[in-house]
Amino acid sequence: MRSFLSYLIPLLLLFSDVFASDYHEQLNLKPLPQSSLLASFNFRSNTSLSQFEAHNFRPMGCRELGRAPWDGTKEGGTGVELWAWLEADTEEEADLKWLTLTNALSGLFCASLNFIDETRTTRPVMSFRPEGDHGSALDNMHLLHGVLPHEIVCTENLTPFLKLLPCKGKAGISSLLSGHKLFDASWQSMAIDIRPICPQGQECVLQIEQTIDMVLDVERSKRPRGNPIPRPPPGHDLKCNTSKPYHSGDTCFPSDFSEGVEWSLDQLFGKPLKGTCPLTDLDVPPVCIHAPESRDILTTPGVTELKNPDGLSRCYQIPSEGDFSMILPHMSREGDNAKTVADETVQPETPLLYAERSFTGHGQERGGVQSILINPSPDTVVEFVYMESLPWFMRIYLHTLQARVEGTSGVKDDIVEEIYYRPALDRTRGTQLELRVRIPPASTVFLTYEFEKSILRYTEYPPDANRGFDVAASIITILPSTSPGAPPSRRKTSNLRTTSLLLSLPTPDFSMPYNVIIFTSTAIALAFGGLYNILVRRFVGADEGQAAGGLKGKLALLVAKLSARVKAAKGKVE
Amino acid sequence: MGFQDTAGLYGAAAALRLALFTFFPALPDLLTSRVEVSTPVTSFKRLQEGLFLYNHNVSPYDGGVYHQAPLLLPLFSLLPDAQAYPYFTYLLYVLVDIVSADALYKIAESGEAAVSKLFGSARKDRQWSGYVVAAIFLFNPFTIATCLGRPTNVFTTCAILHAISKAISGNPLTSMLALSFAAYLSMYPILLLPPLVLLAYDRQHPSKKITSILPFTGITILTVTASLSMLLAISYLLTGSWEFFSSTYGIQLTLTDLTPNVGLWWYFFIEMFDSFRSFFLGVFWLHLSSYVGGLTIRIRSQPLATITILLGIFSIFKPYPSIADISLSLAVVPLFRHIFPLMRYTFFAASTILYSTFLGPAFYYLWIYAGSGNANFFYAITLVWSLGQSLLVSDLTFAILRDEWEVERPEMVGKEIRQI
Repeated sequence: MRSFLSYLIPLLLLFSDVFASDYHEQLNLKPLPQSSLLASFNFRSNTSLSQFEAHNFRPMGCRELGRAPWDGTKEGGTGVELWAWLEADTEEEADLKWLTLTNALSGLFCASLNFIDETRTTRPVMSFRPEGDHGSALDNMHLLHGVLPHEIVCTENLTPFLKLLPCKGKAGISSLLSGHKLFDASWQSMAIDIRPICPQGQECVLQIEQTIDMVLDVERSKRPRGNPIPRPPPGHDLKCNTSKPYHSGDTCFPSDFSEGVEWSLDQLFGKPLKGTCPLTDLDVPPVCIHAPESRDILTTPGVTELKNPDGLSRCYQIPSEGDFSMILPHMSREGDNAKTVADETVQPETPLLYAERSFTGHGQERGGVQSILINPSPDTVVEFVYMESLPWFMRIYLHTLQARVEGTSGVKDDIVEEIYYRPALDRTRGTQLELRVRIPPASTVFLTYEFEKSILRYTEYPPDANRGFDVAASIITILPSTSPGAPPSRRKTSNLRTTSLLLSLPTPDFSMPYNVIIFTSTAIALAFGGLYNILVRRFVGADEGQAAGGLKGKLALLVAKLSARVKAAKGKVE
Repeated sequence: MGFQDTAGLYGAAAALRLALFTFFPALPDLLTSRVEVSTPVTSFKRLQEGLFLYNHNVSPYDGGVYHQAPLLLPLFSLLPDAQAYPYFTYLLYVLVDIVSADALYKIAESGEAAVSKLFGSARKDRQWSGYVVAAIFLFNPFTIATCLGRPTNVFTTCAILHAISKAISGNPLTSMLALSFAAYLSMYPILLLPPLVLLAYDRQHPSKKITSILPFTGITILTVTASLSMLLAISYLLTGSWEFFSSTYGIQLTLTDLTPNVGLWWYFFIEMFDSFRSFFLGVFWLHLSSYVGGLTIRIRSQPLATITILLGIFSIFKPYPSIADISLSLAVVPLFRHIFPLMRYTFFAASTILYSTFLGPAFYYLWIYAGSGNANFFYAITLVWSLGQSLLVSDLTFAILRDEWEVERPEMVGKEIRQI
């Protein structure tokens, strides 16, 4: 296989600059409860380091990108995140390379990554672990992490993403991807990971993994193109929640979703899958679905089904030419052949940790953050690093940080094992807070701290100042289990993100800089003028000195003259 | 005249404060969180944060929260934790208030306000005793609120009052030491140096008198320089770097933290155009320091009056003023009881100050919490507050100058006058 591929390389380079050694792609479908579907697209390609540097990444600026052993972006509803290990002797050098990297990626992905400035960059100490093989190269590495919580991911980011693929969305699973469906999904994420892989006794290769994950609402995605505007369904089409006691022919409690809706791949994505990408590794089946064996699935002819021995998933080898689609028909819950939910979908596995974060308090002066972390497992301890990178205008008071445990009895209170804290500096850098926490089984941890909302200069507010400022998601890195009997899924680190938050700051009145300058200056002038007047002028009695002096005297003189003249005129008339 | 006379007063003041601390346990934290009491450079909560970082070996100056003098850190880390055992902190603040009141008592008892070396007022018999002046300070609601809110500028207040009291009692060196401590804590008190030097010069002990003013000034300035450098050097040793310099004094010069307060600076610099920011910072500081020279020269015969007027001006125009500053300024005004009849706008000034005292918190609430007002509401109140205070200060200046003039021309007492 490998020889075949290396034979392909020169050929390939004619078509694609990036992809060299080997490439495979896979689409994983996972029907979820409540009529949702998780679609995970995975594209992975390897390129040898020498070729990588010899070809399109020749310019100096991009070699740093090549050297960066691991570099990932994660894009989703909560912004854009970028982190990289950069090889540099000093921190300043790392900062320079970081600047180059963000600007290069910004151009590459049409994203505003160049706005990741020093206030949005942190250097995580405990979070993130390098992936891939590095040898001793890690000693000189600086990990930098930046996040843009307000960045919205859209079609202009998908197009360059697809351009990086060898089949560019024309064939293979990438032919399913279109901006209309991807950005209409309930949840979506696009990521690119680059890591070096050094197989034993061979040249090191650089692995680029591009992933797109999306959770589709089946009913919403099935909405036909001709009728894209959601309208209230007519009465006879209403889906009712039949479990309500008052449900009858003329009363209906609408249910949010209906179970067991029939769907097909081309309905959900708006177009069928167009064959396979000719460059893909033929050993890897392009489409897999996680569904129990009892689930009926119909496919287009010419497709080979490969069943997974565990009975929970199956994959499809599809012909290289022609369209592919699959239909998951409606399964009746009644009658002789009644099916249950368990027959239709695989129960999602329980995650290691649940996390949620919210603001507490009210008003625009101060507030608090509360993170609730739940370990659902009845018997295993979960150890993780909780990292916050907060904007500088959110002044946190670390002395108010508290970790409270609820749940199993007899737990020790100091579950926070290590704290790394780098306070924010106004207009220079944000707060970085990392906590290493061990959470006992079946218990809940409440992390709380207080902060103060600063007021900014009026030029520092965005045009929509009263909308608020986005605060980046906190990143939870679950550390690998050290116990020998841990399952394989616990042997590697995994990341978890909370939602981002919207922080509203006090705002000045944007319409009156001139008024404020004038009013304040007047107040100062009044105070200064009054005092100056008192200090420099001499006292005299009210009846002393030059009586007719000054403007007042002149005015009095003028009035006297005028009245004399008026009197004289009156006299004449009479 | 001794401690016995005032023990009852001090006891009552301490009891009142401790009673407030005990019976209203939420009051101290409420006041600490008020922008009128706590400013970024004095806030007790920020001190707690600085202390927490200091005790956990993180430099408190490598962050945007703590902007107070480094020596406060070891002082407060000696006290037990303020959260668990708040009474030690309460007692410290009550003690500082009483020590300040005692200094004020001594200043009032000296009679310097009415009879200085170069001037004797014709109305000197109408002065209030030290007991009354100390009582007015101790039972001033602004002072009590300051004590409960625990901002760190009570230490500055105490140091300034001691500097004045020591200068009057003929201890120029101790006085300069106290002034350098005040300047070390808050920076702006260094502007009080010229009138204080004159005050100390006038009130020297006859036994060890320096008759010429130049050598005296030289020695005092040297003392201040030496003690300030000493304090800064200790701070350097304590924190291990000069970072604290830009964080404590730099912020007062550049106003990077724009948290609202009762002064005029914050809103002005929020709304300032970026290209003019540094120009106006220079103008504001120049304005603040411009009063020192003029007043010192014009009211040369009464240095204590100069200091009183300057304290009033600082409480209006300094970068981060709070009610602690007006409580200091109102503490020294009663020393001039004898010239109150000469003041023209006392009612207007007093009602303006009362008006803004009550409306300020209300308008702040409307802006920040209710959302039914905007920043201009609170800004307008700070304008009124500043105007009321500046009226009080200029009226006091007028009364002092008229009192001086009436010594020259006793026949003009009670007559209508004008200024030309």
